[in-house]
Amino acid sequence: MISSMSPMASDIPYLQLEIPTASAERFWQPPSAFSANGIRWLASLNQMCLDTLLPWIRDTHAPNAQAWINPAAMPSIWEVVNGSAIALGQQRLIIIPTAASDFEELRVPQEWVDLPSWAGHYYVPVYVNPDDGEIWVLGYVTHHTLKQQGTYDPRDRTYSIASEDLLCDFNVLWTARRLCPNEGLQAAIAPLPSLPLERAKALIERLGDSTLVVPRLAVPFEVWGALVEHGGWRQQLYQHRLKLPEPGSVRQWLQTEMSGFAQQLGWGTMNLQAALARGSSYGSANGLVRHLTIAGNLYEFRVFQQSEAVWRFELQSAAIGGLVPGGFKLRLLTEDLMPFENNEDSATSAIAQLYLEVCLSPGDALIWEIEPLPDFYDREILRF
Amino acid sequence: MRPRQSLLDLFSTFLQFESDSAKGWLVDARLRRHMQAHLDQAPMPEPSETFWALYWHKQWQTETATLATGHLAAYLQEVCYWSARKLALNLTTGQSLADFFQIAIAKLDRVLKGFNPQHSAGLRSYASLAFSNIIKDSLRLRQEVDICTDWALLHKLSHKRFVESLRTYGLNADTIAAYTAIWEAFKLLYAPTDGKIRKLSKPDAAAFAAIAQVYNRDRITTVGASATAATPALTEQWLTTCGKAARSFLYPLLVSADASASGQESGELLDDFEFTFQESSLGVVIAEEDAKQRDEQRSQLNAVLLRSLVKLDVQSQRLLQLYYGQGLTQQDIAKQLETKQYTVSRRLTSLRQGLLDGLGDWSQTTLHNPLDSNVLNAMSAILEDWLKVHYSHPDLPSSAEASL
Repeated sequence: MISSMSPMASDIPYLQLEIPTASAERFWQPPSAFSANGIRWLASLNQMCLDTLLPWIRDTHAPNAQAWINPAAMPSIWEVVNGSAIALGQQRLIIIPTAASDFEELRVPQEWVDLPSWAGHYYVPVYVNPDDGEIWVLGYVTHHTLKQQGTYDPRDRTYSIASEDLLCDFNVLWTARRLCPNEGLQAAIAPLPSLPLERAKALIERLGDSTLVVPRLAVPFEVWGALVEHGGWRQQLYQHRLKLPEPGSVRQWLQTEMSGFAQQLGWGTMNLQAALARGSSYGSANGLVRHLTIAGNLYEFRVFQQSEAVWRFELQSAAIGGLVPGGFKLRLLTEDLMPFENNEDSATSAIAQLYLEVCLSPGDALIWEIEPLPDFYDREILRF
Repeated sequence: MRPRQSLLDLFSTFLQFESDSAKGWLVDARLRRHMQAHLDQAPMPEPSETFWALYWHKQWQTETATLATGHLAAYLQEVCYWSARKLALNLTTGQSLADFFQIAIAKLDRVLKGFNPQHSAGLRSYASLAFSNIIKDSLRLRQEVDICTDWALLHKLSHKRFVESLRTYGLNADTIAAYTAIWEAFKLLYAPTDGKIRKLSKPDAAAFAAIAQVYNRDRITTVGASATAATPALTEQWLTTCGKAARSFLYPLLVSADASASGQESGELLDDFEFTFQESSLGVVIAEEDAKQRDEQRSQLNAVLLRSLVKLDVQSQRLLQLYYGQGLTQQDIAKQLETKQYTVSRRLTSLRQGLLDGLGDWSQTTLHNPLDSNVLNAMSAILEDWLKVHYSHPDLPSSAEASL
C-alpha cells in the first residue's frame, strides 16, 4: 500500500535495485555486533547495499568485483565509520549509504578520502529504503572531484558535495572506465605518520570505551587514521568496544581451538606432511593455512612451528606444481609495522615457494604482508 | 494565459498567479531595460529567441552577470507553467498548479546548471524535462514525509537539509549548532531495531537521557563553551522542534509565484548592469558562431543515436517508447509488462548504458574529443533529453493549447 502511494518515485532514472529478502537479517538478532542502535542501523544499511549492489555490478559490468575486505572484518569498520568499499581490480568504489530521502548531498567520512589504503576512486551515494526493500543509486563522484569541489567540515570530519555536483548517471562510470581509463581519478593522498605500539595500545584502551560513542572524533585525524588503517588494531578496538573475548594466540589456535574470527577470515589448520618431510619434527604436526587469491590465482599461506623458538611462514601456489611468480614478496613486520632483519623474501623469477623463518617468544606479535596484495587483504595481527 | 510575443517580453516578464490560475504577465522594469539595451545592440537580422536563451545562459555561466538569471527565469516561465500544469492535471496530490510552478521555478539554478548547450535540443525542451523531474522529486519526498513519523523523519534528512530547515525555522547559529549535535547523538543512539524505519516511535525517557548524556559529554568541543547542558526533558523538546522544523521545511508555505521574479534589489546590480552591457556586443557575435557549430554537431548526434536505436530489438524499443514517449513511470510500465519495477529499472539502465556507450565511442572516434567523466555525464544528460524529444514532443504547448 505504501509503495502504491508513490507513483512518481521511479520516474527519475536512478538505478533502483531490490534488496534481497534475507539481507542484514542477522543484524537484528541479539547479541548486537555494534555498540549502539544507530550504529547497528547504519551498518545494516551498508550490508544491504553490499548485498544488493555487488551482485548487480558483477552481473552487468565487472565479474571480478568484490567486497574490499573480508565480510567478517566489516563490523570493525562500521562500528566506527559509515561506508563500504568494493574492489574493481585495482580501483575501489566507496559506497556511502544513507536513509536521507532528500538526496541533497553526498557526505563522505574523511577516512574514505584521506587514508591511503582506504581512499577510493569513485564515491557512490546510495539511498537505502528498507521499508520498501529497495536501494537507489544516486550517481557518483571521483576522488579527485570530491577533494577539489567537496566541502570539508572539521566538525564531523566529512567531505560533502551537493547532489548537483555529482555525476548523476551511474552508467557514466562504466562508460568512462571503458573509454577513458587513464582519467585522473584520485587526487594526491599524503601518507600518515606511523603510530608507535605503546601509543596504539593506549588509544585502543581509551577509544575502546563504548560510552565514547564517536571515537573517530576524539583524537586528531592523523592519529585516528593510523590506528584504524591498521586492520589488526582496528579489530582490537572493535573487540574492546564490544567487550568481545581476545582472539588468542596462534599456539592456542593450534593446540586447542581457533578463534571464530580467525576461521571467518579463512584460517584453518592442516596436517603438514610436507613440513614433516622437510625435517620439521617439532610439536604437533599441525600448522595454520589460509587460502589467498592474488592476481586471480589461488595460493596457500602457511604458518607452522619449526622448533620451540622458530616459526616458518610459507607462500606457495595452491595448484599442484604451481609456482609463485617473479615479483611476489612475502614480508613480516612488527605489530607497529616496523621491518626487522631478514623479514622479507622475494621472488626474482618464478619460484616454488617464498618462505621466512623467525624466532618468536610467546606473546610476540607479527603482521604479514604479501605483494601484490591478496584479495580481501586487511592487516592482521598474529600473536604467538 | 496569453503567450508572450516579443523577444522583449520573453526575457523580462513573469507569470502572475491569482488563486491558482495564471492571470497575466508582470513586467520587471530592470530586466526590461537591460534586455532592450541588448536588443538595440544586436546585429541584423534580429537574432532568434533560441539565440538569446543560449546567450543568457552563457552569461549566466560567467557568474558576473546576475541579471542573466532573471532573463532566463522570465524566459522559462511558460515551460515551467506547462510542466506544472501537466502534472497538476494528471496527479491528485492536493497540490495546486501554482504550488508546482513555485516548487519548480525555485530550482531554476539546478536547471541552468544541468543544461548543456552543446548538442542539446534547446533550453526549453531541457527545462521542460528538468522542471517535471523537480516537481516529481519533490512529490516523492513529500509522500515520504507523509508516511514517516517525526522520529523517522529525523533519520531521513540529510545534514544539509537539516541545517537548512533549522535556519528557515528562524533559529540562530548557536542554537543550530546545539541542535545539530543533539540530532547526531539521537541518530547514533536511537534507531530502528528491526530494519524498518518509517514508523519509528518516540524514544522513551531512558533513551532521551542517554542522548542527553552523549551530547553533554562533548558539548563544549562540538558546540562551544556557552553550550547549554541538556536534560532528558530538554532533549525531547529540542528534538521535537527539529522534527517540526524538518516537516515544515519539506512542506514550505508557498509564497505567490510572481514574488519569485528576479527580485534582487540591491545597489550592486546597477554596476553589473553597466558591466554586462559593455561586454555584450562582442559576446553576441561569438555566441552566433557557436550556434552554427552546435547545429552541425546536433545533426551528427541525431544520426548516431538513430543508428543505435534501430539496432535495438522490438521489446527494447517498446520499453523506451513507454518510458520516454508515453511518459509512464517505471512502476506503470512494470504493471503493463507484468514484471517487477526493478526489472524495468535494470533494463532501462542497461539500454541507456548501450546508447551512452555508442555516443561515447562516436565522440571519441569522430570528434576526437578527449573524454572524461564530466564530458560523459554531459552526454548522458543530452541522451536523456534526446530520447525524450525523439519519443515524444516536449511538454511545450501546441498552438491550440497555448491560449487558455
